[in-house]
Parts: sequence; structure tokens; C-alpha cells
Amino acid sequence: MKILLTMLSVFVFSSSVCQVTISGRVTDGQGEPVPGTNVFLKDTYDGASSLGDGSFEFITTAVGKADLIAKFIGYRDFVQPVLLDAQRIVVEIRLEETISELKAVTITAGAFTANDASRRTIFKAADIASTAGATADIAGALNTLPGTQKVGESGRLFVRGGDSNEARTFIDGMVVLDAYNTTAPNTPSRGRFLPFMFKGTSFSTGGYSAEYGQALSSALVLDSKDKAESTRTDIGILSVGGDVAHTQAWDRGSVAGKIQYTNIRPYFGLINQEIDWKTPPESTEAVGVFRQQVGKDGLFKFYGNFNHSNFSLYHHDINDNGVKQLYDLTNNYRYLNGSYISSINEKWSVHGGLSYSYIQNNTQIEFDNILESEKGIHAKTVFEGSLSVRVELKTGIEVMQRNYAKSIYFNADSTYSHWFNELIAAGFAEVYIYASNKFVVRIGTRLEYCNLTGKAGVDPRGSLAYKTGATSQVSFAYGKFRQSAKHNLVSINQALDAEKADHLILNYQRVENNRTFRVETYYKRYEDLVKYENGNPLLLTNTGKGFARGVELFWRDNHSIKNVDYWFSYSFLDTKREYLDFPHRATPAFATAHNLSFVYKHFVPSIRSQVGFTYSYTTGRPFNDPNTASFNKGKTPYYADLSVNVAYLPRQFLILYVSCTNVLGRDNIFGYEYSTTTDGTGAYRRRAIRQAAPRFLFLGIFITLSKDKSVNQLPSL
Amino acid sequence: MKKVNIISILSATLLLVAHSLLATDIQYIEAMQKNIHVVYTAQSMAELQEAVNALQRIGAAEKNKWEPHYYASFGYIMMASREQDGAKKDSYLDQAMAGIEKAKTINGNDSEVVALEGFVQMMRITVDPGTRGPQYSGLAMQTFGKASAMNPDNPRALVLKAQMQFGTSKFFGSPATDACETLDLAVTKFEASASTNPLAPQWGREMATALQHECN
Repeated sequence: MKILLTMLSVFVFSSSVCQVTISGRVTDGQGEPVPGTNVFLKDTYDGASSLGDGSFEFITTAVGKADLIAKFIGYRDFVQPVLLDAQRIVVEIRLEETISELKAVTITAGAFTANDASRRTIFKAADIASTAGATADIAGALNTLPGTQKVGESGRLFVRGGDSNEARTFIDGMVVLDAYNTTAPNTPSRGRFLPFMFKGTSFSTGGYSAEYGQALSSALVLDSKDKAESTRTDIGILSVGGDVAHTQAWDRGSVAGKIQYTNIRPYFGLINQEIDWKTPPESTEAVGVFRQQVGKDGLFKFYGNFNHSNFSLYHHDINDNGVKQLYDLTNNYRYLNGSYISSINEKWSVHGGLSYSYIQNNTQIEFDNILESEKGIHAKTVFEGSLSVRVELKTGIEVMQRNYAKSIYFNADSTYSHWFNELIAAGFAEVYIYASNKFVVRIGTRLEYCNLTGKAGVDPRGSLAYKTGATSQVSFAYGKFRQSAKHNLVSINQALDAEKADHLILNYQRVENNRTFRVETYYKRYEDLVKYENGNPLLLTNTGKGFARGVELFWRDNHSIKNVDYWFSYSFLDTKREYLDFPHRATPAFATAHNLSFVYKHFVPSIRSQVGFTYSYTTGRPFNDPNTASFNKGKTPYYADLSVNVAYLPRQFLILYVSCTNVLGRDNIFGYEYSTTTDGTGAYRRRAIRQAAPRFLFLGIFITLSKDKSVNQLPSL
Repeated sequence: MKKVNIISILSATLLLVAHSLLATDIQYIEAMQKNIHVVYTAQSMAELQEAVNALQRIGAAEKNKWEPHYYASFGYIMMASREQDGAKKDSYLDQAMAGIEKAKTINGNDSEVVALEGFVQMMRITVDPGTRGPQYSGLAMQTFGKASAMNPDNPRALVLKAQMQFGTSKFFGSPATDACETLDLAVTKFEASASTNPLAPQWGREMATALQHECN
């Protein structure tokens, strides 16, 4: 019994032994108090939250050695061993800021990052679909941002005085060869990839990461969506065709398929067209998407796109409209992309992928047949991780293989072929050094080897960003970029060196209350551009040169007016280059001095509709008039376009969509084609390159069938 | 004597073990109840932060209890609902999600925890309704459905779902029939709800009462 009593008494008394009071103050690196910090002894309930002045105080019954911990969002955990041997212990806690995604400055020079998950984006993936005039085309929407030049008859991206092939597209880090639909000469093409496939887009107009090679002017990096969350069927009935898509989702994966058929014939029957179509464009497309989560946080993605399209038209002679030539094109396109991302441990992650592009064009020009095919394989592995709290490293290797062949069968009796097989091996490494949440430096370098030239090149790149205030920052970027010459040029001269550019960019940005102001200035120098020796297109050298410089402004506000979101972009561009057939330095035909866009979106809750318009304006484009002695000195009239769109949701699962480009019906002229021979008066006659039709009217009905009716296709519009 | 001794030692040990177990349990429950009460009734951000901190301390000490993480997450959701700044709102919701993940690893995929996850998704919409609405509304509805499938008697999954349905019917100007049906079911489940766990979630009744006015 004695023992029992002793034990009981020990138990009872043990709970009322010495108490220790722990107090102190929590401050940050600047000595400012951090209220709300959770200060406590490890593995006990004993602790307190710091008050407004950073002070804290609590009592503990713990004895001996213990760990004092302090935690608060945005700071690193503070741990200090304490010896609970006095009645009162005072601990001064100084918290160190973590380099957090939320607070840290990001490099904005040249970059427009759009990611729906991120909070500081100034251009969202959903914006692409809802921009009037873009008709859900990625390039169309990006053309309303500064740094781009609207080239109406092309529809492609032209960035800062660069040709359209200088802007490359990457999906999940993997390069895409030819990201645009095949179209007739001088009719705008659309991107092959629909915007709603992507959760994020990063559009860079220069100074981008060393991860992206083979891009001279711009990198458009698209991040495809992760696993689909719900099983659903989408049906689209369009004025130019229709599509059906089905998505099946399960716990750790999803699969989706889509079939689309487009035929512009019924539409062209209704609206007068500038083009003399024999068979208007018709295309059939199948898309497959597969996602599977692997292990704890791994994700495997697969995407496949198969497209078959064809059209034929008559090309009329400029001198004699009665003389016409048949132009018939059939295009087959395949793009396969598999990628994998996973973390290796808490600090490191790996992502990699394999992409395959195949493009085949079969063109018949009257009696001549041109068969052209391009195949590309890109394999890449990238490791990312932190070397320390303030230093992050990204490094990787990649191989890009490109195979091109072109055969021309003249009148079916003589042939002429070119081909090449290019292999580029590259490695890159890049470090991010965070001095604080306010200041970051990114230094990287890229090493590339090309089998055709047998040359290796090193491209250093660096950038930095500094927060000048709570909402403003300055960013600077410099880099060297290279890209192999276009396939039609390399096939003629396989020894052609890569074309090169240097970018120098300075940017100021201020983001406050959903309002963004941005101003950017840049200088770009081109070297080793491909040039025709003595005007001979079969004698190619790398002696071309050029430059581009400009100032750009961007203002976006989705705060001041309720339910209204609008942005305004202005770009000034001064560029000249000497390349291809240019006899001397001149401004190329695609470059315009002033580009302006105003995009307005208004959601009207009472009629459950989003109404929007886009106004674009560019000054005249240069063109070359062979009747004059000077080169590229002509100027077309200015370009202007007002496009409108309305999306109406009568029911949760139903969307009606109407859009119309160029509602004012302005007769925009993109340039002039000149006849190759003179007429009776000794002059070269010309014909204006116009819009295929004054307006493009698009109607769509989108239906979504799913178990819960709250899902609709709005995000895809 | 020896016999007695052994028995007394044994019984004393048993008593001690039982006592200390009971004592820690009581201590746990009391500490939890105090802070849960604050989370339910807090009038200010500072009060909420303090309760959340206390819950996180308990969670860090009690490695096998899911409730502290659950209520800390609930507290962060309440903080997010009071916050105007979108970025801060998101950071509170990130904290809430971290707590939900911890609760899940301890308690598996519990219906209450899943319903709370749906609540986070619902709150995400308020940061940027135009952009996030279409994506997160579907996601939240699905998560509420998942929570109900795991436990059809969970009234919170139902009342949150009703809230979402009210939102959509308002947007489309359609009658709130679906929402009211879900709400009626939620109210029935609230009335029938009984748990042996003194720390079982109790919130949501007031939300249901407030919504009922929209149906009458």
C-alpha cells in the first residue's frame, strides 16, 4: 500500500512543480515586429501568439532542455534550444524571410507570364479565349500585347522586328515545328493548339531563360493542363464545322479525345471572298490527351494531334486577270508530345519529355508538283532544385533532330530535290540568386553543337529584377540567342551557320489593385542572317545584319469599373535589316513603326453575357515597288480593325457565341504584289494584298454534358 | 503480503496509466474545445490567428490527431473570408490546404476533411470570380459530391453544395429548386446528426438557417 501511495503522491505532485515564464519579442530582418507569430515549445501545448508589438509571453511546466520554435507565414521556422532552469527566460526572436513565390520579385523583362494558378499574372490563359478578334487563337490574342506587330495576312506572331519563324512555340518545354495551320498564300493562319488546352502561357518577347534554344526573337511556352477533374462530353456546332470531345476522368488519371471537322465552304458561299477558291479549306483533326499521376507527385502527360487539310484555288495573273493558275495543297500534320515531371526529393525535381513533329505538304501548281516534308524529334531532361535557401539551379540537356526533304517534279518529267538532316545537341545551366525577396539575379549559359556546321556555340544570358517599392519593380535582361536558318535555306546550303541575335531589355512594372502599368525598352542586334550573294537565291551566306529597337507601353485595369476588364498596348519599333534579297539595309515588309491595341471586356450579369471588343491600329507597312529605284520605300495605308464578340450563357451547360472581325468593314491593305514582267507601258503592274473577306463572322453553340451541370465550356471560349 | 504487493503495484500501475491517459485526453479535449469555440466565434483576424496558432501547437504535439489540423484549416478559411486582398486570401487558403493534407494523412480520406477541401475550392473563386469561377465551381461541386458519397449524413457537405447551387441559380436567374432541395436535406441531416466524438465538427447550421430564408 505504501508503494501505491508513494506512486500516487508522486503523480499528483508532479503536475504542480516549477513553472517557467518565457517571454520576448519577434522581429523581422529590419527589426520590425511580426505580430501573430506562433511561439511554442516543441511537442507541448505551451506557447503564445506574438502581439501587435511583436511581444509574447507564456508559461510552461516543462522542465530540462526544450526547443523553442517560432513560425509565421512568409518566414523560415525559428528553432532555438532553451534550458528551462530559471523562473523567467527571455528570448529575442529574429525571423528570416523565406524567398517565397508570393513575395519574391520575378524577372519581368521581356516576359508576359499567364498562369491561372499564379496570383501576379497580368495576362491570363483565359484571356486568350475571350479576346475579341482573336477567335480563340493564341497568336491572335498575343497580338494585342506590346512587342508584337500585327501582320494581317499571316496571322502569325511577329516579335520586335523579327520574322515569324523567329518566334518559337514550346509545349511543356518541348519544341513544336510549325505551330500554325497551313493556309493559302496571303490568308491568315491559326495556331494549331487551342488555348483551353493550357493552364498557363509564358510569352517572352526577348531575354528568356537559357532553357529555350533555337529561338531568335521570342519563346512562347505553353503549359498543358494537368489531369482532368471530371468526366464530360462537349459538343460544338460552329458556322464553319463542328467538334465532339469526350473526357473520362478517374482518381489518378484522365483521358480525352476530340474530333473536329472544319469546312468553310458553306460560309464562303454566303459571303463574297477575294479569293477564287476551287475547293475552300477543309480540315479533319483528331486530338488525344492522356494524363496519369505516378507515385507521390509524379505526372505523366501525353498529347497527340493529327490533322489533315486541303484546299485549292486559282491564282490570277496580275497583268492579265483572265490567265489563272491552279494552286492545290494537301497538308498532313502530326504532333506527339510525352512529358514527365516528378520530384526526386524535397529539394530537387526532374522533368523531361520527347516530342515528335511531322509536316507534309503536297502542293500542285498547275502541272508542277512539290512534295515537302519535315520531321523533328526533340528530347530533353531538366533538373531543378535549390543549392541553398537563396540559390536555385536549373540545368538540363537536350537533342533536337530535324529532317527536311523537298522534291519538285517539273511537269512530271524532271525532278529537283533538296534535303538535310540536322542534329543539335545542347546543354544549359542557370542559377537564380536571391539576395532577398526584393532582388534576384539570374545567370545562365547555353552550349549548342550543330552537326551540319560542326560548330559549337556558347550563349550567355543574364537578367535581374529589383523591387523599387511594394508594387513596383525594375528588371533588366541581356542574352545571346541563336537559331538555325529556315529549312528552305539550309536545304540549299547545309553549311549555313545559325543566325544570331543579342537582346538588351530594360523594364519597369507596377501592379496595384488589379491595375498594371508596364514600360519596356530594348535593343536587339542581328548577326549572321542569311543573305543571297549577288541576289542569287542559290548562293547563300551568313553576311546579313540588322537591328531592332523600340519602346512599349502596357496598361491593364480590371478594377476601376465593375465587371469591366480592359487593356491598352502600344509599341514603337524602329528596325532595319539586310538579309535574303535585300540589296541594302531596309525595314522589312512585316515591320510597322507604331502598333496599338485596345481590348475591352464587359460582363453583364443581367443578361449573363460577356461582351467585348478589340480595336487594333498599325501604321503603314513598307513594300517594294520595282518601278522605283529605291528598295522597300513604299508605305501601305494604315491598318485598323474593330472586332466584337458576345458570349451568352442561357443555361449552365449551354453557350452561344458570336464574333465578328472588322465590323466597320475597312478595306485593309497589307502590301502589294507586283508582276514579274512589265506590261505594254514598261511598268510593273501591282495588285493589293487584301483581307480575304472584309469581315469574318463566326457563330458557335457549345453544349457540355456532365454529371453535375455546373460545368460548361466557358473557360474554353 | 507479497501477493498484496504485486496486486497493489499492478493496480497502481494500471490506475496510473489510465489516469495519465485520461488526463492527456481530457487536456487535449479541453484545449481543443476552447480553441474550436474561438474559431467559431472569433470577431477579429488577430483572434483567429491566435486560435489557429494554438491549434497548430496542439497538432504539432499530438501526432495522431487529425482534429487540430482540421480546425486550424477551418480557421484559415475564416481568415480568408475576412481578407480583401486576393494574394493574402490565397496564402490563407494555401495554409488551409496544407492543414487538410496533414489531416488526410492521419485520418485517411474522411468525409468532413473532404468537405472542407471543397470549402477551400469554393473560397478560391472569390479571389477572381471571372477567371476562377468556371474552373473552381465545377471542382468544388465535385468535391462536395465526393464528401457526400463517403458519408451521406455529412450535413456540411450538403450545406456547402447548397450554397454553390444558390450562387449558380442566382447567376443564371433560374429558380433555386435544386439548391433548396439540397438545403432541406442538409437541415434534416443537421437535426439527425450525433457523434460520439466530442470534437466532431458542428459548424454549418447557421449557414443553413441563413440560406433557408432564400427558399421561403
